[in-house]
Formats: sequence, C-alpha cells, structure tokens
Amino acid sequence: MKRGFRRRLPGVLVLLLTCSVHAQDPAEYFKQNCVSCHTIGGGRLTGPDLQNVSERQDAEWLVRFISNPKAMIDSGDPYALELLDQSRGVVMPTPQNITPAFARELVALIQEESAKEESQFRGLQISDAPFTAMDIARGKAVFEGRVKLTNGGPACVSCHNTAGLGGLEGGRLGPDLTLVFERLEGRKGLAAWLLNPATVTMQSVFSEQPLQQDEILPLVAYFEDRSKKSAIAPANTASFRFFLLGLFGVIVALALFDILWKKRLRSVRRTQVLDAANEVLHGR
Amino acid sequence: MNGSTLDVILFVVLPYVAMALFFLVSIQRYSGRKFTYSSISSQLLENKHHFWGLVPFHYGIIIVLTGHVVAFLFPRELLAFNQVPVRLYILETSALTFGLLAAIGLGSMMLRRTVESKIRAVTTPVDWAVLILLMVQIVAGLGIALFYPWGSSWFATSMTPYLWSLVKLQPDITFVSGLSFWVKLHIVNAFLLIALFPFTRLVHILVVPNPYLWRKPQVVRWYKRGNAISTGTGLRKKGA
Repeated sequence: MKRGFRRRLPGVLVLLLTCSVHAQDPAEYFKQNCVSCHTIGGGRLTGPDLQNVSERQDAEWLVRFISNPKAMIDSGDPYALELLDQSRGVVMPTPQNITPAFARELVALIQEESAKEESQFRGLQISDAPFTAMDIARGKAVFEGRVKLTNGGPACVSCHNTAGLGGLEGGRLGPDLTLVFERLEGRKGLAAWLLNPATVTMQSVFSEQPLQQDEILPLVAYFEDRSKKSAIAPANTASFRFFLLGLFGVIVALALFDILWKKRLRSVRRTQVLDAANEVLHGR
Repeated sequence: MNGSTLDVILFVVLPYVAMALFFLVSIQRYSGRKFTYSSISSQLLENKHHFWGLVPFHYGIIIVLTGHVVAFLFPRELLAFNQVPVRLYILETSALTFGLLAAIGLGSMMLRRTVESKIRAVTTPVDWAVLILLMVQIVAGLGIALFYPWGSSWFATSMTPYLWSLVKLQPDITFVSGLSFWVKLHIVNAFLLIALFPFTRLVHILVVPNPYLWRKPQVVRWYKRGNAISTGTGLRKKGA
C-alpha cells in the first residue's frame, strides 16, 4: 500500500495545484473589480462614469491607462492628470491580473454596455432626500442581523463594528464601519460598494448571496447617521469585557469540576500511608 | 514564491496531504499495531496535578471542537441562532470560556510533564510536538476569539464554504486568502495536527467507546517487567 501511495502522490499534487486556475469573463471581472468606483450610465462614483468613454479617449489610450494607471499619471499624461484631479487625488489601483489583451476586452465591454438603454453596471440609484428615522432603525436591524438577509448572507455585525452598538459590540474581522459613509464618499459610492463589495473576503461571501436593494438603502441610511453622529471610530473596550466574562466562566467551571469530582481518587499510596499512620497513632 | 502560490500550498496541498496521512497511517497503524491505540495514561505516576490538566483540557477542547463541527455541518442554522445579538454574545462567551479552560488544562499538562521527574521520563519528543502544536492552536484560537470576533458567524460564511470546497475536491481559497495572519495560522496548524495525529497518542480519540468523561476512577498499571517506557507508536526499552 505504501509503495502504491508513493507512486500516485505526485499525480495527486499536480491535479490539486491545477484546481486554482480559472478563466476570466470580462463582465464578471468588471463586476468584481470596477463597479465599486465606476458605473456605466449611473453617474460618477470615486471614478468617472464610463458611459461612452471611448468617445473621450481612443481605445489604445484606454488600454494603456487600464493596464497601469499610476504609470500614466507619473508620465505626466494631461488627461490622466485631469482624471486624478477629478477623483480628488485617488489613484486608480492597477486591476488584478490585467493584461493589454484583457484590457481591450474590457474596453469592448464598456462600449457594448454604453450602447444599451440601461447598462447592467448602471449601479443603484439613490435619491438625495433625507432618510427617515424608520430607514435608520431598519438599517441598524439589518446591520445587527435582527432582520435576516434575503439571500442568506451573514449579518454585518459578524465581522464589523460601528459606534453605539452596545453590549459586546460588533465583530472585528473586518474594519470598523462608523465612518464608512465618508470613506466611500457618500450615498452613491457606499451603495455601489454594498452592491458589489470589492475586497476578496467580502466577494467570496456575497458574490453568491448579494445584498438586495431593500437591504442596501437602510444600511446606507444607518451608516450616514453613524457618520453624522460620530467624529471618530470608537476605541475597542469590548474585547476586555469579553475576556473578563470568559474568565468568570472559567472560575465557575473549575469550581464545578472540583465539586463534581469531590470523591475522585486523589491517591493510592498516599491514602494507604495516611491510613496506616492513623492506625498507629490512634489505634484504629 | 508569491503569496498566491504559498496560499495554494498551505490551503490546498497541505490539507489533502494531511488528510491522506491521517486516513492511511491511522488504518495502517490500527491493522498492524492495534494495542498502540492508547492515550498511554500516566495517571499512575502522578494523579494530583493530572486532574487539573486533564479535566479542564478535555472538557474545553471537546466542546470547542464540537462547536467547529456544528458550524461546518449546520452553517445556516448557526447564523439564524446568532441573529439575536444576546444569543450571539452568550454563544461566544461560552466558547471563550471553554477555550480558556482548554488552554489552562493544556498549560497544566505541559507544566506537569516538565516538573514531575517520573512524567518527564515517560515523555517522548513526539508528545512535546503534539503539546506544542495544541498550545499554538489554542492560543491562536483564543487570539481570534478576542481580537477578530464574532467567529461563530464568520466561520459559517468563510470557513465552512472553504472546507466544503476541499471536501468536494474543488478547492476555493478565495474564502481564506484575505483573512488575517492569526486565522491562517489557526487553519495551517490544524492541518499539521491532523497530519501528525496518527503518529501520536492522539489516536486514542478514535478508540470508541471512550467513557473517560464519566467513568469511575481507575488505576492504570503497566503490566510489563523491566524498564519499558511507552512511545507514541509502541513500546521500547529505555535508552534504546
């Protein structure tokens, strides 16, 4: 058996290593990597609305910019500098695993989507009207998980905290979201992000079970409210309280063990020696 | 080696190698050396310190491990349970309590194997490897519980799909590649423990029924003449 296993092991490893290779679909790629900063026909987010972008610059320029935005800015290209100015100094990160050939496919996709009456990348449309107290309360309930997400995603509180949660507060696997409304530059940016989260961890969780519009809007209302009411993210005091609670549980458990095993066999020889000593001393 | 290659090695290759070792060597050891399937108790040599290591460790680790298995098998039900914040806090505090018990118990067991000369004499390098790996695992787990809460919820949405992707032979490391160092350490160390499992006294977990938790006290004796001492995989003469 040993020899057979040794013979087959290299083959098994090669098979396993090839499992991680996957093909890229431009629309899926755009959804995963671009929509948190761009729309096609939905207006500006952090980056410009890309509708009819090929009319503003030729395809080759776009391919060069998408392939390495920072290099274009550093080269002093006037249009790249204008874009940088419009996005208030936020440099577009180089897209993951991008190649000139794939950038061309992305440009073609943008052209195709621009021609549609309503692109699938138009993004979520949110009015500028003030949110109501009910919107904010529902947003808090969605954040805390008291309202179950339609597609089965986890509640935000599993991994995130915001100011004013109370109790042992929210999770800390992900960043504190007290000021996320400002970080993502308001309603549109935040809603676009919630619709298609851009981080690997969030994508892996929410790509198959995305947030619905009626969950995103209250969340935006809640985050806007948090951002207005708190100037800074709260300090972490919950971890210490949590630890003290755990320690209290340990003390109770150890006391219980001692009581439950009161009649445990504490020794064999020690008991015999003590019994013998008692017998000698007290004549018992 | 870039990050993604390392991730493939740690979260795809290592798990399969660990599981292959676990099954093949456990079966081979059971078929060839049945009587080495034992926890090789040292209770006879010292039983005072033994209680405060063994009991907290076993109750702690068994309950925490059960929690991990429940999250793996019933993620949706777990998320539904955690929907009420008070329930989430009670579950997490209980898990932290049992994790701390496991750490205290294991610390006590390590101390016993260091300071008690009789126990030191029957402790092998493999025993120390197991104790150290277990301690790393528990400390990483406690660190995650304290600094990256709430694991009972995010395990169900990140770890469970990753583990099922391994089971289905379609490994998807995107669920774990973005997680913090401590979470990655906890995962990798778990697979190292699984890989080492069949070579150690941990095999006693596979021997059922295992009524250690409720049985009456019993004295364990070695029924062999001479200076035989036990090892993780059998008996050998002292000094051999």
